Amino acid sequence: MLMRQREVLRPIFRAAWDDLSHHFDATELEAWAGAVLQLANVNAGPTCLIAYWEASKDGAAREEIAPLLAAAQVATDICRNAGARAATSALKALPVAARAFGNGPALARWWRAMDLLARQAEESVEPVATRMNEVLAPGTIDAFENFVSAGLRAASGNKARRIAFFSLEDELARRMIARDLGSVTFPEAEVELKAFLTALWGRPPLLRSFPTDNNQLAQRRASIAGPVIRLPEVYRGVQGDAARELFRAAAAHAQAHLVLGQDLFPVGTLKPLQIALVNLIEDARIETLAMRQLPGLRRLWAPYHIASPSGVVSAPTQLARLARALFDPAYVDDDAFVAKGRAMFLASRIGDPATSREIGMLLGNDLGQMRVQFNVKTYVVEPVYRDDGLGLWDFGENGPLGEVVELPIEAVKVEQREAGETEEATGEREGERAEFGGARPVAPDQRGVVIAKYPEWDSARGIERPEWTVVREVAARLDEPRMIEEALDRAHVLRSRIGRLIRGVRIGRKIRLGRQHEGHDLDIDAVLDAGIALRTGREPDPRIFRSSTSVYRDLSVLLLIDVSESTSDRLASGSTILDVERLAVSILAEAMGKLGDTFSLLAFASDGREDVKMTSIKSFDELYDRACKARLAGLSSGLSTRLGAALRHAGRVIGGTVSARKLVIVLTDGEPSDIDVSDPLALVEDARRAAIGLHTAGIDAYGVVLGQAGGSSASRIFRRGKTMMVHRVEDLPNRLSELYFRLARL
Amino acid sequence: MNLDPYRIASEPYYEPLGHEIEAFKAAYAERLPVMLKGPTGCGKTRFVEHMAWLLGKPLITVAAHEDMTAADLAGRYLLEPSGTVWHDGPLALAVRFGAICYLDEIVEARQDTTVVIHPLTDTRRILPLEKRGEIVPAHADFQLTISYNPGYQSAVKDLKESTKQRFVAIDFGYPPPATEAAIVVRESGTDNDLAAVLVAIAQRSRNLQGHGLDEGASTRMLIHAGRMVRAGLPLEAAVQSSIVLPITDNPDIRSALSDAIQACLP
Repeated sequence: MLMRQREVLRPIFRAAWDDLSHHFDATELEAWAGAVLQLANVNAGPTCLIAYWEASKDGAAREEIAPLLAAAQVATDICRNAGARAATSALKALPVAARAFGNGPALARWWRAMDLLARQAEESVEPVATRMNEVLAPGTIDAFENFVSAGLRAASGNKARRIAFFSLEDELARRMIARDLGSVTFPEAEVELKAFLTALWGRPPLLRSFPTDNNQLAQRRASIAGPVIRLPEVYRGVQGDAARELFRAAAAHAQAHLVLGQDLFPVGTLKPLQIALVNLIEDARIETLAMRQLPGLRRLWAPYHIASPSGVVSAPTQLARLARALFDPAYVDDDAFVAKGRAMFLASRIGDPATSREIGMLLGNDLGQMRVQFNVKTYVVEPVYRDDGLGLWDFGENGPLGEVVELPIEAVKVEQREAGETEEATGEREGERAEFGGARPVAPDQRGVVIAKYPEWDSARGIERPEWTVVREVAARLDEPRMIEEALDRAHVLRSRIGRLIRGVRIGRKIRLGRQHEGHDLDIDAVLDAGIALRTGREPDPRIFRSSTSVYRDLSVLLLIDVSESTSDRLASGSTILDVERLAVSILAEAMGKLGDTFSLLAFASDGREDVKMTSIKSFDELYDRACKARLAGLSSGLSTRLGAALRHAGRVIGGTVSARKLVIVLTDGEPSDIDVSDPLALVEDARRAAIGLHTAGIDAYGVVLGQAGGSSASRIFRRGKTMMVHRVEDLPNRLSELYFRLARL
Repeated sequence: MNLDPYRIASEPYYEPLGHEIEAFKAAYAERLPVMLKGPTGCGKTRFVEHMAWLLGKPLITVAAHEDMTAADLAGRYLLEPSGTVWHDGPLALAVRFGAICYLDEIVEARQDTTVVIHPLTDTRRILPLEKRGEIVPAHADFQLTISYNPGYQSAVKDLKESTKQRFVAIDFGYPPPATEAAIVVRESGTDNDLAAVLVAIAQRSRNLQGHGLDEGASTRMLIHAGRMVRAGLPLEAAVQSSIVLPITDNPDIRSALSDAIQACLP
């Protein structure tokens, strides 16, 4: 039976293998075949294997083997926990998820969520996998994780209810995945928002988003926490340009608080209604100040003030009407409370924040005496673009006490719960990662896939030991690329300096050539010489034209990054050496990306000669995108520096490129060392030999050495002219890019 | 030779921002070469014209470019029916007959070209004309002024240290808002309110410098916008066509800038 199955399966396997062989090399294919075997070993069955092959073919175009291996790993686990059918359906859903999330960390999180489902609700994997298209409609991984955990919680162990939820028969489930077509998410609007706020007040804002909670009826408002502005992931029910407008209105309002507001208000013994009113007055005060500077902001905010005199008298409507009255001078409202508030506001000192507290307290008393209902739990600030006001208050060391300040308590609870949740969640994820390498794109062997063996020079005996070091490819750990982007934002001065350097060497620039046989223009000096020659009876030089040619650069660069344990040392500024390396590399990578130079980024660390770990952050044929940044952000310090093996490997990698000029830049923080070598000089000699090897192969190797130590050995390894010492580690980003532009100059 | 065509007949408008006029006068009195630094469109060229008028000297302006050779500055032999004839370049002309020679955007020229000014900018004050075998001592009225925009050129094309250190420098920036508005009113003929709005708009774009823009809107751009309005274009359209569209091609930055400009409009 099994044999017959195999006969049937073989051609399909062959076809998949052939397909993949266009994209991957032998070692990668080997690892892939291992993954297939792994699936077969847990009795995944032919349909599951075929599903995996199909998914592999689908994913192969992305040219990355690690996600495919990870897929097999998790599918194996799902198969163990929930059976072959579940695993098959998950694999069939993979292309849908990959379309939504790409190959980045989000896809790994998708796998983790699927695996979680397989463990806790085995019967639900298949229903949810077959509906993946609908389930992923919200488009963010947060939404999917939310969906899974909500389903598990909502069913509270009841299998039938779980199936109903994950088959989308449940009302809550449908609501959670309902996404308005055309809605704009925060990431889509972020770049523009940031530039908008910077242009308004000359101060780049710190923007974050919080996930939209579909269980809540009211749209949560933006909030301010310290210097950070948090905006909803998406404004529900608002689409297209209207959504962008709303994001701008909310962000501009919040940033106005940060730019024009002053210290926090102490909560003291204020009642919730008073707090809400102080917020309202402060909002109006800040907006008035902002509109004095930038009158056009009125147009941005005005459309959201829609409260009108009609309707029942309740606290929320009164507050909304007061908000409008303070904002819009043309608004007519005869209500005594609104009129009083308006009169007080107009008579107040607008520049003084104490005003807000004074008026807010008085009006709060008034409204309290009118005995209107004010429900802290359901109250949301109106209009929708305003922030929730909590960022304006100082709740004191121990937080609020007693029922009088219920509003802040509620709010603080929300905040704390959120913070707690995220911590828990990440804790959980870490735990999962450690427990089973499944969702992490790690190849079968814990130590990584063996990709090469290299000789090493034994200086004591003067012989070369063949196949002495084993280089393993370790899949990169992924982290938030945002981390890199923020570091880049902070270094904007340096970044713009590098930007100017880039423009200076812009490829494709025309240069003029004088004294040519042909060209578009006469070279006046050459013509004169020719004329003089004719007159004096000599043979004139016929090259009397000028022409132009484009500058063309044929260069590939490999940046070899030392991530050994010592790079975890902290500098005076509080950041680690690795942090600085990361920043330097990302600035340079950005520059090289803009220049269109082919480059690759490799990180290395070693744990004895059998285990020299290489992590590819960017390969030569990959674009420098967010996936690369995620890998760069995920680098962590550890182990030792076996430089020779790393250099030889770098030489082999860059040797595969066809560029005329090949450049290897090594970024290291000291001398080579490893646990199994007692004499560090031996490794220096080996590295020197490796560097000479590169030189003979026509590859330029440069050493960039951080800190005080390691200078002498570095100039021994790379020779003096090819070593750059960076004594102050903080200078690295600047110096590294300078070095690059010097080396890569035409 | 008569340099009258190079003389400036009527006073070019210039609004002093600091002590730049005194500084230039002092430098001229001592015949020290001057370097004007500052972003594009902030009035460097206008300042030189103003000073030439104030001092009553002819002004010879050369816009430097990548293909400029030393011969383009100093002069060359030309061929005429009777034989070769030496033709002074603009720099030689200024040196020989006493003018202020203004080399605009000097870093655009190649470094081997700029060294030709070295003997002119130290105590020697001579211009050697190699091809002609002549050394031209500078006329008593001759003075050299160069301009460059440190932000805009690439660091690769920076001035040579040996060139830089020969000059007295005057730094130009964007004028304070009130002054800038006055300049816009004067140069474009708009009213005060509109000028104030234009200056506020420029401020928004300058906030984006280093955060998406390489340089903010210049005073010159504001004047252009003002003139477009005067010619009958609505303010928004004028700002779009004379500030937003020229300054960036990035759609995100463009739309952010447009929105920020909206916030400035009354």
